[in-house]
Amino acid sequence: MNDERRMLVDAATSIFEDLCSPETVRAAEQSGWPGPLWSALAEAGFPWVSVPEQHGGSGGSVADACALLRVAGAFAAPVPLAETGLLAGWALSSAGLELPSGPATVGVGNRDDTLGLTGSPGSWRLSGQLHRVPWARESERIVAIAQQHGQAYVVSVKPDDTRIEPGRNLAGEPRDTVRLDGVATSDDAVAPAPDGVSTDALVLRGALARAALMSGALSRVSAITIRYTNERQQFGRPIARFQAVQQHLVKIAEQTEAAIMAVTAAAGNAVRACDFFDVAAAKIVAGEAANIASASSHQAHGAIGMTKEYELGQLSRRLWSWRDEFGRAEDWSRLLGRQVAEAGSDALWPRISTGLFSNA
Amino acid sequence: MEFAPTTLTAAEEELRSEVREFLAEELPPDFRPGLGMAAGHNPGFSRKLAARGWVGMAIPPQYGGHGRTAVDRFIVTEELLAAGAPLGAHFVADRQTGPALLHYGTEEQRQRFLPAISAGECWFSLGMSEPDSGSDLASVRTAATKVDGGWLINGTKIWTSGAHLNHYFAVLCRTSPNEGDRHAGLSQLIVDLSAPGVKISPIPYLDGSHHFNEVLLQDVFVPDDMVLGEVGSGWRQVTSELAYERSGPDRYLSTFNVYREMLRELADQPLDDTQTRTVGYLAARFWTIRQLSLSVARLIDARRAPAMEAAFVKDMGTVFEQESIGLLRAAADRELDPGRGSLFARLLAEAILTGPSFTLRGGTTEVLRSVAAKGLGR
Ligand SMILES: Cc1cc2nc3c(=O)[nH]c(=O)nc-3n(C[C@H](O)[C@H](O)[C@H](O)COP(=O)(O)OP(=O)(O)OC[C@H]3O[C@@H](n4cnc5c(N)ncnc54)[C@H](O)[C@@H]3O)c2cc1C
Repeated sequence: MNDERRMLVDAATSIFEDLCSPETVRAAEQSGWPGPLWSALAEAGFPWVSVPEQHGGSGGSVADACALLRVAGAFAAPVPLAETGLLAGWALSSAGLELPSGPATVGVGNRDDTLGLTGSPGSWRLSGQLHRVPWARESERIVAIAQQHGQAYVVSVKPDDTRIEPGRNLAGEPRDTVRLDGVATSDDAVAPAPDGVSTDALVLRGALARAALMSGALSRVSAITIRYTNERQQFGRPIARFQAVQQHLVKIAEQTEAAIMAVTAAAGNAVRACDFFDVAAAKIVAGEAANIASASSHQAHGAIGMTKEYELGQLSRRLWSWRDEFGRAEDWSRLLGRQVAEAGSDALWPRISTGLFSNA
Repeated sequence: MEFAPTTLTAAEEELRSEVREFLAEELPPDFRPGLGMAAGHNPGFSRKLAARGWVGMAIPPQYGGHGRTAVDRFIVTEELLAAGAPLGAHFVADRQTGPALLHYGTEEQRQRFLPAISAGECWFSLGMSEPDSGSDLASVRTAATKVDGGWLINGTKIWTSGAHLNHYFAVLCRTSPNEGDRHAGLSQLIVDLSAPGVKISPIPYLDGSHHFNEVLLQDVFVPDDMVLGEVGSGWRQVTSELAYERSGPDRYLSTFNVYREMLRELADQPLDDTQTRTVGYLAARFWTIRQLSLSVARLIDARRAPAMEAAFVKDMGTVFEQESIGLLRAAADRELDPGRGSLFARLLAEAILTGPSFTLRGGTTEVLRSVAAKGLGR
């Protein structure tokens, strides 16, 4: 990690330490929004890292943003840090639209969702629906890709102009259904999507963001499982002395390192755009790690891990949610498998042996 | 934990292209790839590789080696393994015995063995396991007694891969009786596999091949100058020797050629859903574990001691190899015909038959994890 990124991570860590305790996370699952945490993050410009400064962002790279997300994941941070800059901020700035000053999100919807744009400058209207939009009700803007006559547009709508049906994920994070019935949209909130900006591209970035969050949550799961099993005594000694428990600890730590490696390489290579192979691999590996580490850490914890109070559950419920969001490992395996098969057997080794290729 | 992804330099990329070109020229079009470390023993191939400077890469030029980095060696090794090339003759000497001789050997031993190892002409086996000493290696009973000018060694080594093909093996044995500290009093002796008193008997391998052996040592005379390192420091040497072998590409590429052959075989037909997902999933896993392993090579070059990292890669890599066999088998979607099947079917059959060894050889998963757990911060 370079010095600048290290400073960024250290600064973020101290904000989360102060303002994102397990109690804050628990409270946010009820109240919906940890105001002081968001204000502090916004003050530091963290939600807009990776969005160019000339577009109102904080500058920095996708790798910087993912390094921040790793910290956020470790603290189970209940805020749309990924959505605001890396996703919505990217789409808006790429299309030359203005960034809101508050939290923003993206709606990629599910397979059957559509979002249609009608009208023309001065009279734009948006109709359609988007399911499972993260943090929609807490956002200042919902950003999405709408279609008109085969042309894609980046659009930015105010949640108040839509009908929102609140939903949530397994961790109690808002995942809302957003319905738009001919929402009048001003000219400064609609722009043709430039090359490379599409729903697929948003899903790809979203997958990278979720994998980064997961890699952070995994580190924390590993740390608290090591701590707990060294404290908890049974049969007259710390349970970490039992070989069966040690096997859990090693598996969790290994899976964590694999997820971090995949995410760091994928984020490091995402200089101009996210590489499909890299991000698919990162989401697959992080998803697999989430499966294994959540099962092993719960087993090693016994009943205490099954309580709402204890920190493990905040992390495991997020791992179980994030592994599904923006495509499950199964979905990405299918997509990646298609791409690899198309490239053919002679291209297989050259691609697998292309790891981190960017020094940026 | 210090894993970090790393890019290859232009010079490293260049080396990789050279190895790829070499392999494209050297391996005949009808070449049947092997599976990882078990990919065949071909002296001619090892010599040609050595002529290019790709054996003994980690050994300094003054001993006939090439003074290259761990990453350079990583690159050559992974290309050989990915091609399923026959690296069996030089592999153990290059990976393990060469570096051990360099670190612990006398000047005379270095002069004597390292140039030959680097030329691909001196091949080694490993003499650690015994009938009653597997994971508990410190319990070995093979013993050497001091005689005039050397040692007389007696005992039985078992599972000795390639003893019937190689020139020497490094034997872990007791040179003084076990009195309390069981790790003391052990030494490594270099034993000439053709010396009088050495009896090598094949132990038929599960797949029917001749892979490993029992090696009986009866009053074998080993001259003083064949003691590797110091008398009595065998345990320390062997445990660090095990660390070397832990995390290289040989720990996760054993089934790579099965995977590629499946893809080749399916090239002209649409893949079903299981096949598609298997192809994608395996790509993701290979890509990630390779970068973990490469990062260990970088750490070695930076003079860190990535013992934990290496143990993690070995454990994850070998467990992944086995998992991959199950997935490829499911994707094959037919009854296996090892005799008449396609190249994919034959390689898959070989992987199924030899797969259980992946998490045994070089130290079992269970023991490896117990050691790794001790290093996890608490
Ligand atoms: C293909 C192949 C090639 C080999 N080549 C060589 C060679 O060239 N030279 C050489 O010296 N050896 C070689 N070996 C031997 C190899 O190093 C041993 O198999 C290995 O060290 C395990 O020893 P073991 O087979 O006696 O099993 P054991 O030690 O008897 O183990 C049996 C089972 O018990 C478990 N176990 C044992 N102790 C513990 C413990 N403390 N905690 C938890 N579980 C435990 C093991 O994990 C394993 O599951 C080879 C093995 C194979 C399969």
